[in-house]
Amino acid sequence: MREAIEAWLFVSPIVTGFLIFFLGPLIAVFFYSMTEWNLLSQQATFVGLDNFEDALTRNPDFWHVIRNSVIFAAGLVPLNMSLALVLALALSRPSFGAVFFRTIFFAPVVTSAVAWAIVWKFLLQNEAGAVNQILALVGITGPNWLREPDWAMVAVIVTRVIKMVGLNMILYIAALQTIPRDYEEAARLEGASNWQIFSTIIWPLLAPITLIIMVITSIGSFKVFDHIYLMTGGGPENGTLVLAFYIYEQGFKFFNVGYASALAIIMFFVVLALTIVQLALRGRNAR
Amino acid sequence: MKAARTGLIISALAAGLMSTSAYAAELRVTIWTGNEAHLAMLNGFAESFKAKHPDVTVRYETIPPGDYIQKLTFQLAGGNPPDAGWMFEDAASTFANAGVLIDLAPTLNGTEGYDFADFSAPAMGLWQRDGKVWGVPFSTSPFVIFYNKDLFDKAGLEDPLALAGKGEWDMVKFQQTAAKLKAATGKWGFEFKDGQGYDTRIMHALMPPIRAYGGDAWSNTECGFDKPEAVEAVQQLHDMVFKDKSIVPPGESGDYFSGNAAMTINQISRASLMSKAGFNWGIAPLPTGAAGEAPVIGQAGLVVFANAKNKDLAAEFIAHMTSKENVATMAQFFPPARKSVLSGDAFITSNKLIPAEQMKVVADAIAKGQVLPSHEKSPQILAAMKPRVDALWRAEANVEESLKAVCAAIQPLL
Repeated sequence: MREAIEAWLFVSPIVTGFLIFFLGPLIAVFFYSMTEWNLLSQQATFVGLDNFEDALTRNPDFWHVIRNSVIFAAGLVPLNMSLALVLALALSRPSFGAVFFRTIFFAPVVTSAVAWAIVWKFLLQNEAGAVNQILALVGITGPNWLREPDWAMVAVIVTRVIKMVGLNMILYIAALQTIPRDYEEAARLEGASNWQIFSTIIWPLLAPITLIIMVITSIGSFKVFDHIYLMTGGGPENGTLVLAFYIYEQGFKFFNVGYASALAIIMFFVVLALTIVQLALRGRNAR
Repeated sequence: MKAARTGLIISALAAGLMSTSAYAAELRVTIWTGNEAHLAMLNGFAESFKAKHPDVTVRYETIPPGDYIQKLTFQLAGGNPPDAGWMFEDAASTFANAGVLIDLAPTLNGTEGYDFADFSAPAMGLWQRDGKVWGVPFSTSPFVIFYNKDLFDKAGLEDPLALAGKGEWDMVKFQQTAAKLKAATGKWGFEFKDGQGYDTRIMHALMPPIRAYGGDAWSNTECGFDKPEAVEAVQQLHDMVFKDKSIVPPGESGDYFSGNAAMTINQISRASLMSKAGFNWGIAPLPTGAAGEAPVIGQAGLVVFANAKNKDLAAEFIAHMTSKENVATMAQFFPPARKSVLSGDAFITSNKLIPAEQMKVVADAIAKGQVLPSHEKSPQILAAMKPRVDALWRAEANVEESLKAVCAAIQPLL
């Protein structure tokens, strides 16, 4: 009994913090989502599920925003994961320059998002930008990256991948280093090619970490906010207006706290569903 | 997760409630300047207020302009409102209609020697309705053309101030001049305000030419962007960007202040940047159009919050800050809305960086100008406009169709 009390006392700081700053607001958001609450005038009316109904059936922007979020995730997740895997395979063995290049590829992860966005906005200018000037050298007329909706989406995905790929690379390197070298040597003695070693030994052994990386990268891509805020502000022509940014606009620019909360709940369930699907697929493959 | 963050901020604000000041007679005033000269002047007003209220101290709280409305709203929502604060023109209606501001008329009219009628009627337009006064403008700053004299000399062109003196500074001349500057110097002819005309400064980019041609963003509840005057004005800007290539186009940066554009549009508070610019410069009125002179003004006002602890005292402080004497003191940074201050020599000689001859341009514009459009749903209107205006700023865009799309998007909000 005494031990139990002591244990609770020891964990009480974190539990208190969790209750006040996480669980409390989370429950509050469920409640807010059923109100029409203008933060400025402080008028709140209970509207039941109206906010959800409006978002799902009446608001054309909502489906546009969902579409953008899906495109962003569908572009970012495979690109990020495949690049991370390639880099990890190239840099996992101790070799000349491996540590140097790991540092280079990881550096953007710890770089300030603001500095990153400002530099890329300069590089991606239409005529004066370095990217288009390099393309011009090889005879390609680059697009006005951040002013054309489709190209803007490509630009935010690619710059986000370059920024964050280092994190997944490190996770893959850590996983690769736990695979015993004996497996590979044995396979090589049997005459297996590099591709056979990768596809039949390494890739299956990487499956658990691949699943984890996929889940966290997908969740992260649905929650992306700072990068969009800094690079495009959701534009041009709402081409990069993703869900998290739309929630911010509703709540913090228009002060429709109730509506923003309802959107946040929808995002919560989208991400939850996505995670469950991925875990289920993994479970089925494992059997 | 975003939801959790929202909740977290609200919880944090709630926690902040418990730490309000222990002094009953401390006024908290939110502002968006951190400039030392501005603060010294503002503290001077706090000192002189002590003559009447020796026990009252004033604390200014600086919030950066980009976060100002958001943070202020959280303070109001969290039950921790400042007593008074600065207010942007485009947010004024939103706050007044939400019922979070008090009517200052009784205090102002009851203050001896205040002379409320001294404030110019157009300058007060945004801040009063049905005899109620929601705020007092402390800065009524018209938009003017800043030009790089060196680039004009290099191109062998008369500068805008000289042209305005001869009555030749109109929208046609503006377009020709910008194109000639580009051809002769290789620098951009014109840059929108702070290079943000396609993003956060849409109104600052579009309103001066639209008003010069006799149009407006909206009047009463009807959208004006698709009216012929507005279409003509925006078509001209569009031609300058994509045909003449004389205005810094979307997706590029020009920067007047580092000498890469020959002209820009801004307010005189930006003159402080010019001392470091390293080139000769001047200011001139906006080019005229079919509607003649149509100066456009940006404003900021002082307001008192309805839930403030010391709202009566705060209202008195606002009356003190905007007395004739103190408005004259502020004029060096913030152009006044009081006719008596505007008409005197004190104003046109108040700014050390700008010659009196050019300050007359500012004084004239205040007298004749009209404030930028404001609406209780300004944030929503701007957000609805943004994607349609993005579509307008494409080389192949049909200006008239794009402006119709702007109106279709904002009409329901008006």
